[in-house]
Amino acid sequence: MTSSGRIIVEGLIHSFHGKVNALQDVSFTVAPGEFVSIVGPSGCGKTTVLNIVAGLVPRERGTVTIDGRPPQAGRHDIAYMLARDCLFPWLTAQANAELGNGFRDMPKPERREHAERLLNLVGLRDFKASFPKELSHGMRQRVALARTFCMPSPFLLMDEPFGALDAQTKLQLEDLLLSLWSKERRSVIFITHDLSEAVLLSDRVIVMSARPGRIVADIPIPLERPRSVRSLQKDPRYHELYSKIWEKLEYGIFEPA
Amino acid sequence: MSVTTSKPLMQAQDGAIGSEKKAHIVRVGPTIWHWQLLTLFAFGLAWEFVARNGYIDPLFIGTPSKILKFGYVELFVTGKLVEDMLWTIAGTAISFILGSVAGIATGLLFVSVPTAERFCEPFLSAMNALPRIALAPLFLLWFGLGIGSKVALGFSLTYFIVLSSTVAGARSVDRDFLVLARTLGASPAKIFMRITLVSAVPTLFSGLRLGLIYSLLGVIAGEIISAQHGLGQQLSYLAGTFQIDGVFAVLLLLALLGSSLTYGMSALESRLIRWR
Repeated sequence: MTSSGRIIVEGLIHSFHGKVNALQDVSFTVAPGEFVSIVGPSGCGKTTVLNIVAGLVPRERGTVTIDGRPPQAGRHDIAYMLARDCLFPWLTAQANAELGNGFRDMPKPERREHAERLLNLVGLRDFKASFPKELSHGMRQRVALARTFCMPSPFLLMDEPFGALDAQTKLQLEDLLLSLWSKERRSVIFITHDLSEAVLLSDRVIVMSARPGRIVADIPIPLERPRSVRSLQKDPRYHELYSKIWEKLEYGIFEPA
Repeated sequence: MSVTTSKPLMQAQDGAIGSEKKAHIVRVGPTIWHWQLLTLFAFGLAWEFVARNGYIDPLFIGTPSKILKFGYVELFVTGKLVEDMLWTIAGTAISFILGSVAGIATGLLFVSVPTAERFCEPFLSAMNALPRIALAPLFLLWFGLGIGSKVALGFSLTYFIVLSSTVAGARSVDRDFLVLARTLGASPAKIFMRITLVSAVPTLFSGLRLGLIYSLLGVIAGEIISAQHGLGQQLSYLAGTFQIDGVFAVLLLLALLGSSLTYGMSALESRLIRWR
């Protein structure tokens, strides 16, 4: 197995303040263009895994390589997205969308073009000049999606990006994410505690147990693409997969071996 | 001013909502304004009535009509108050500019070099705890009766206010913004310039607004204690010679001056930070 284009996590062990066992022997691989979700009870360390891959949290034991190189915050081939939109209130939607490429010294005309294209795609054509305070929650997260997808990074790390949205807005943005992702398949690690979201979006769902966080299941989602929230709700396979993951999750919570 | 600060945050699903609400406020605004003016006028009338009939000795409270007349004559006929006002404004402007520049510079130094702050903190706290007016005799000795001593007093007040608001503003930066910027690949210098500094601006501005008022306070206090020119000097002269109408005229002028300074600052602020 070649390491190029892959995220490889091997034998990750992590503790908080040298005492509490947070992660125990976490290993998985994300193939190029693969969408992998990690689900687990809160506090299981799934965000820690993501932040180690993002280079925000230093590794203790184990190895992580992204396209053959160790993690480092600010790598140009990685785009990272948080639950909060983190739009800078002093910048317009357009300028916020350009932000990542701006920090990465992309020439002005090019990054403007990228940002305009993405803002059109997320349905904010008429709000490019708006400041974040003038936008609703959902619209703000759309700008954050645009900012993330503007960057031509083949790796995408997402930490519960829709966790703070209401159910309806969330469904809209999940569809939007699917359509953006299917245009140019990037390798994604998607952290969520929402099982239906995980099934809907992913090629594989990794289930983690409660602390110490271990991987208790790695479940492929063989549903064909393109997918849509509405059609999947009627698909019996979707519900089967959902309950299968739920079982594993329960196992991880109540019977930590 | 009330219109700009109470402007509603528009949760724009479409742009029309915002303009509707604005129109609503404009409709309400003048009515309150009328009532405020009317109240002020009624208060003036009552004051005039009380003073003229000697219910309270006008020696202590003056008479509104005479206060206005004094103000009019000294401002537009002899022009004496104008000259004093210009001295006061000049002193305030110089101490505000020097105090803010020094305060912001020190604040930025403290934010970027925490060791410097840890070292200076006890000294600065002690100086800040000292009632600055107590330094006036010293400043008079050092800088004389001219503009220097009152500028020093205004500076000593403004400096600490602007310094602490600069530091507080830079500290108020959202942690998640810094995390995001790191993952986006921003260098520490870019993070400081484009995030930390910009985040500090709103807090800094409330410090500047306060600093401006305190510059005026320091200058007036300096003039009252001892000076050749200025509204404060005029005030203490008028009070010393029992020209109570003159005292009130100067106070009125000072209130107007202070309000216009604050108003100007707020106008500048809302122009510069429209995104708030």
